[in-house]
Amino acid sequence: MRSAAPSPADWLLRAWRAPDSFAGMSAGTQDLVLRLARRSGLLAALGARMTRASCLETLPARIQDLFEGARVIAADRERSVRWEVNRVQRAFYGSGLPVILLKGAAYHLRELPMAQGRLTADVDLLLPEADLPLAEQRLRAHGWMTVTPDPYDQRYYREWMHELPPMRHRTRLSELDLHHAILPRTARLHPDSARLLQAAQPVTDHPGVWTLCPEDLVLHAVVHQFHDGDFSRTGLRDLLDLDGLFTHYGQQDAFWERLLERARLLNLTRPLDHALRCAARVGRTPIPDGVLSAARRASPASWPVRLLLDPLVTSTLLPRHPDQRRADPFTALAGWCLYLRAHWLRMPPQLLIPHLARKWARRWRFDVRPRRTV
Amino acid sequence: MRICDLTPDELARRLLKTGVRWRAGPFVTRLHSEPRDFSDLFHRLYGAHRLVEADSSEVTDFHIALRRGRGVRRWWRPQIFFDLDGPTELAPFPLDHALPLFEWGFNYGIARRSNQYLMLHSAVVARGERAVILPGLPGSGKSTLCAALVARGWRLFSDEFALVRPETGLLHPLPRPIALKNDSIDIIRAFHPEAVIGPVFPKTRKGNVAHMQPPAASVYAEAETARPTWVITPRFQPQAPAELDPVPLDHGFMRLAAHSFNYELMGARGFATVARLTRSCRFFELTYGDLAEAVALLDDHTAQHEEAPP
Repeated sequence: MRSAAPSPADWLLRAWRAPDSFAGMSAGTQDLVLRLARRSGLLAALGARMTRASCLETLPARIQDLFEGARVIAADRERSVRWEVNRVQRAFYGSGLPVILLKGAAYHLRELPMAQGRLTADVDLLLPEADLPLAEQRLRAHGWMTVTPDPYDQRYYREWMHELPPMRHRTRLSELDLHHAILPRTARLHPDSARLLQAAQPVTDHPGVWTLCPEDLVLHAVVHQFHDGDFSRTGLRDLLDLDGLFTHYGQQDAFWERLLERARLLNLTRPLDHALRCAARVGRTPIPDGVLSAARRASPASWPVRLLLDPLVTSTLLPRHPDQRRADPFTALAGWCLYLRAHWLRMPPQLLIPHLARKWARRWRFDVRPRRTV
Repeated sequence: MRICDLTPDELARRLLKTGVRWRAGPFVTRLHSEPRDFSDLFHRLYGAHRLVEADSSEVTDFHIALRRGRGVRRWWRPQIFFDLDGPTELAPFPLDHALPLFEWGFNYGIARRSNQYLMLHSAVVARGERAVILPGLPGSGKSTLCAALVARGWRLFSDEFALVRPETGLLHPLPRPIALKNDSIDIIRAFHPEAVIGPVFPKTRKGNVAHMQPPAASVYAEAETARPTWVITPRFQPQAPAELDPVPLDHGFMRLAAHSFNYELMGARGFATVARLTRSCRFFELTYGDLAEAVALLDDHTAQHEEAPP
């Protein structure tokens, strides 16, 4: 089924892993890598890796230009994320509400190497559930409003999800998500939010700004992809987020032991096992063998699940050749299976079936299928 | 090799099968397209542009495909879609409007991606190595004035984009067909009967549009940059005599920033680039009622006057 020649995504991963190998690729392959990186939202991040490996300035000027054009966009996004965090701090000022950042905003404010060139669209906050009404009220007073007035959507978020309906600022149009947990209320797993809040750590140089502790930061990225995601649209980006986090924190003393222990405590050993295995196999993230086997032993997942999941994830996650308009039948089927799996883990069937029916009906009525932007 | 060195049949075949790589200013585009009438028009309007052979090591900036709508839309009110590295959010056009869709989509791609340049929404023409930037809102007559200046021997940089390199402050040409709208189509036909102008596309979102072929000499010189020297904001006013009114520098700065696609996006660098541009230019507002008079005034003024002090 798999041919021996490197697939388009293999080339991209090769350039990602060893930026100095890019210069030696043929012009056609370079072109393919750049296109795939752009389509996957990774062009600026790839450029940042090239810069860190000091091999950007040796490339032809027009290739440097492509990276520069993407870098400017990513830098603008990062600037707005920092500004939004500042505005949230202002909105929460004096209220006693904590500013605990999740995901992209946390990576940027912590200045993790993997955040360089990352396209972060919105700011995600974690708050104690009891504080949500106050937070919402404060944000409204400072110009944020709820994006969707639709009563079904409102109910969907408030009753079932781990976050409030997304808010958007009236003039800056930036999006903000208020979370009280990292997985939906209806999901199969329930990592205890109190523990996450308790272990949160302040960000040096940004008084009043907090993020999850490193282990929880990593575990959140893990559940985001392996318990709550369907791998299709931003699959490769999410995997390379994990790659960046594993690589960065993996250098700390005893990080892996702490991570495994934390996963046990938060009941997240299963997604962590999947994530480590997938990062090592697909993303070629350097993860010590001992860690992989320890994670496998700790996970309740049975071997048929692993055997089935791996090829599905691999084929869905890796972008196909940009000139190939449609996925081949196996990939299409794999994507479908993972879509169902994500929803299966998200909600029990008695909620899921009416929800999906409603979603599809709406999709066909308004044709709101996602379209790729430039 | 230039696009016009291919026969129309060969160009159509390549556009359909392998795609055609060609250069416009600093950008290399690979274009696929299905409709034959687009291919023939492209051959006429982009004939002077340089082909980039398949074995060239030049990187491709834009992979564009003009794709016909499928299913029932193949026959019933057929549509054409613009793909830029895959599907985009751009709404399809009627099939016989493939060229306006291509021009619009290409502009959209450049504006979205090419942030290695400060991009101003304006026409640019040059004499020698000194360039005039003609900013203007849609309908202000910048394309018309640009076409008229080009017809009188100015070198076409672009009727849509001023591309400024932040590192050098220099303007980079992007010679492409000039989009003439509504009345200006006949005005240019009368002003310059030799102009090669494509068919009129009625009822686009900007009204009637026709495209004027860029002078071959401008296309051949597409790698030669120029120094921004004048910023002239045109304002068409029926019956008014042609007049140049100086604009103070601070207004000039704001005008450039406001006409920029990516001034804010570029952050501090955008500010520095616009500031440098402002210092290197003299700013005027040009009121005119007669095109020939306006062109003569600009010719005179730019020939006589020294540029801004260093």
